Amino acid sequence: MSVLKCRDLRKSYGDLQVLRGIDFEIEKGETKVIIGPSGSGKSTFLRLMGLLEPPTGGKIFFEGRDVYTSGLDLNIIRAKIGFVFQEPSLFRHLTALDNVKIGLKCVLKVNNDEATERAMEALKAVRMEEWANYYPAQLSGGQQQRVGIARALAMDPDVILFDEPTASLDIELTWEVIDVMRDLAKRGITMLVVTHEIAFAKEVADEISFMDGGKILESGPPDQLLRSPKTPRARRFLTRLLGGI
Amino acid sequence: MFLLDYSYLIVQGFEMTLVMTFLGLGGGLVLGVLSALGDVYGGRALRALIGAYVEFFRGSPLIVQLLLFYFSVPTVTGVRWDAFTAGTVTLMLNSGAYQKGYFKGAIEAVFKDQLLAAKSLGMTFWQTLRHVVLPQAFRVVIPSWTNEYVSLGLSTSALIVIGLRELTTVSKSIAAQTFKPLQVYLLTGLIYLIWISASLKALDHVYSRVRIPGLEVSAEAS
Repeated sequence: MSVLKCRDLRKSYGDLQVLRGIDFEIEKGETKVIIGPSGSGKSTFLRLMGLLEPPTGGKIFFEGRDVYTSGLDLNIIRAKIGFVFQEPSLFRHLTALDNVKIGLKCVLKVNNDEATERAMEALKAVRMEEWANYYPAQLSGGQQQRVGIARALAMDPDVILFDEPTASLDIELTWEVIDVMRDLAKRGITMLVVTHEIAFAKEVADEISFMDGGKILESGPPDQLLRSPKTPRARRFLTRLLGGI
Repeated sequence: MFLLDYSYLIVQGFEMTLVMTFLGLGGGLVLGVLSALGDVYGGRALRALIGAYVEFFRGSPLIVQLLLFYFSVPTVTGVRWDAFTAGTVTLMLNSGAYQKGYFKGAIEAVFKDQLLAAKSLGMTFWQTLRHVVLPQAFRVVIPSWTNEYVSLGLSTSALIVIGLRELTTVSKSIAAQTFKPLQVYLLTGLIYLIWISASLKALDHVYSRVRIPGLEVSAEAS
């Protein structure tokens, strides 16, 4: 059964249609990547799947249950869906460790000692355990982003959504974040990633989807989609992105 | 040293000044935080109500507010209240109106991305407020709050118009009895000065204790 699934998902802001009917699902252990030009609705799609905004049409299912009609507590489901944002959005008054602990303590009601233990484990997984007692302002963008990943990871979510986590980082910092994400994918963490890091997508994705104009135009295994996209728009986008590789 | 004879009066007056300052600031803190939250997260009617409250207390002199509350509340409600109660309530309302502005700015300084991050963890509105928004807002607000402390502390001398026996009121009666206004008022001014500068030092110390890297404020005032 799919962890997260949507059917005919739609979102409009006033007259502006951002998502025009998306069908998508991701199963336990899978890594799926979404690519597409900016303004194609990728971030909006991810925010809807993370239950951070309600859709204006269509349905979202978490482990088979329609999240908006079966009377579920949305906060309980949100706790099971990790989210990593484009901008490192750490709580600025908390150390790296406390940033990772806050969800465990407030939402999952884990006691302090266990929260510390789990948080340190998550920080280790992103290679940030030595920075546990530093505040966000004392960390680089890449380090902040890795703490953000640890914060999501520590909740032991069923899926983690990544919204272009390296878009605001320079190349060197991008690598350290991508390395961590590669580790997670290999550990079997279920991941849905919006990114333009094609090497990463090629190596770990089970499927890549190309989005444009608020729709998924095509999906396929990395080799097929990257080498021989079927739609002209995906072909044009990939030619530009890969710069003639 | 004629003033020694009156020293117990001066101490009593100063005590009253301190009590009024702390009651006004404390009550104003609660009112300020609540109205800031109401203004940021509340509906239209609540926001209009808060707007009118703030407008009135920031847009009219404290002395007029004191006179209005002390003399008109008994005539309207039929309940007599003393200068102490009337003064406390007026100072609280007045300070709350100013503190609302400071807290609103500080609450809005907590970026939206952090609110979204809290939501993604499954935190409720109240958990987010308690664990994310307010701890940051309280730190950011300290410099403006320091100004409010100074401003309200010195403004307590306006309580003379309702006859409350705080430092200024007491000084005036001593000056009248001794015919030595120069010495009496100089001493009074000195007491205010020492009190306020000592408080500022203490508040600075508090500020440095709770400071967090990255949450410093480019102190617009202070």
